[in-house]
Amino acid sequence: MDENRFQRMVEDIYEMFKSYGVTKKEIETRLRLLLFEFKVPEEEARRTIINGLRKNYNIPRVDLKPALAKISEIEPNKWVSLKAKVIQLWEPNSPIISQTGLIGDETGITRFVVWAKANKTRLEEGKCYLFEKVVIDEFMGIKSVKVTSASEIREIDEQIEVKEELRELEVVGALVSIQQNSGLLQVCKICGRTVKAGTCMEHGKVETTDVLRIRGVLDDGEKIYDLILDEKVISSLTGMGLKEARKLAEEHLDRGVVLLELKKRLLGKYLKVKGEIRFRMLTVTSAEFYRPKILEEVEKALKEVEA
Amino acid sequence: MIRTTKREVARRVFSKEFNASKFKVGGEGEKEAVYVLTPLGLRCNRLFIVGVLLEKDEVRPDSDMWRIRISDPTGSFLGFVSKFQPDALDSIADINPPEIVAVTAKAKLLQRDDRVLPLIRPENINISDFETRDYWIIETARATLRRIKAIEKGDDKLAIEKYHPNIEEYRKAVIEALMRLKEEQAILEEERLEEKKERKEEEEKDLGFKLDEEIIDLSDFEI
Ligand SMILES: [Zn+2]
Repeated sequence: MDENRFQRMVEDIYEMFKSYGVTKKEIETRLRLLLFEFKVPEEEARRTIINGLRKNYNIPRVDLKPALAKISEIEPNKWVSLKAKVIQLWEPNSPIISQTGLIGDETGITRFVVWAKANKTRLEEGKCYLFEKVVIDEFMGIKSVKVTSASEIREIDEQIEVKEELRELEVVGALVSIQQNSGLLQVCKICGRTVKAGTCMEHGKVETTDVLRIRGVLDDGEKIYDLILDEKVISSLTGMGLKEARKLAEEHLDRGVVLLELKKRLLGKYLKVKGEIRFRMLTVTSAEFYRPKILEEVEKALKEVEA
Repeated sequence: MIRTTKREVARRVFSKEFNASKFKVGGEGEKEAVYVLTPLGLRCNRLFIVGVLLEKDEVRPDSDMWRIRISDPTGSFLGFVSKFQPDALDSIADINPPEIVAVTAKAKLLQRDDRVLPLIRPENINISDFETRDYWIIETARATLRRIKAIEKGDDKLAIEKYHPNIEEYRKAVIEALMRLKEEQAILEEERLEEKKERKEEEEKDLGFKLDEEIIDLSDFEI
């Protein structure tokens, strides 16, 4: 371990304990002993010192503020503090989630979840925050930052340059599923969640706006892509925009008719879509029905038989 | 939106291969899905099929459970639609055979005494078209060829051990499907050309001159 890395470790631990009167010298001495004389692994040494100091100074675990981490180095089952920018908010699909989406810093991007029970003020897209005492969790190989009631979030007056991890992508596949929360939807003017009977889960009776949206799954037989199609894309495929969708719903006195119609026209069709992928979510910017020259494709496949 | 379970890919397989399946794999842990293992080593939990709906019969009167048969170039898939697949049930009411349909379905093996019966349970069914069906055949032919190659290389030990698949039989089925498609396309193309020619002649008759003469080099003229 080089001296710089060692000093950073000391600094990180010092940050956590300086308000309790712990000195840097004290940390340095203990850390040197464990790392260099007893050859204890870094992570073990760090944890031992933190736990030791906590006991000596009688500090409850939840009172500690972990040192600032970078998104590229977060590890599951740890709690950390992060400075990050909210890149994208997604609509939560469960009442136990208050907000979810993506945050990023100069090293990377990660998913985050704010539990409804955490009772935090709402984050806004594009703003930067200090997330203190958040928990890192991993599910199916995907890490996420969990904001619990023990966490603290505060907006900061800093601009964070997020490392771009958006990938432009073009894929061909069959649209095999359109989810129920698609079609002509009413969303809350404050938070953008879908609203049932004029009532937002979070904000109660609210003013709403109509949106036309499809959440679906494109499947090429090898991989799946979760898609979001907006009004522009839907209209380019079906000729049905917000105006036409509203008219259809009014004629039938039922918004559900719009979803049925979209399913009828799009499910099972091969689409060629272009968009930006963030993790597995593809925000589609343009789409067309995929109509290859069949004869050419047959010839290609026949060549593969011979190969 | 966070997916709490991994969605299974809808695989492409011809009915000939699917219907020869006899074994399941997976389902070990609580969360692991069950897959039908086909003779060419495909592990499928979900399928995407575009074919011709040939039969649709209610299993018992007023049971609202439908037995369907969907054909592809190599045979046909047997399927059941019931109230557990509300989307598919809604659609099937309005679709009558024969009709080209696109289907996303769960792949199942029904165990009956010493017999196993491969079948599908559609999640959604929609009226489709010839172009989509043609492309599905090509896509499925290619996927089948990839599996044949893997078996030839000895990559899929389990499938080889369980089935000793006769790969020539499957290769032949793929070639036949592609050749038929090619012939159909050639006929279609001829018809299209014929129709175009006829249309042109009609137009020329109406106009009273040959359309080809319309292409005139302006440099031959003076302003
Ligand atoms: Zn709201």
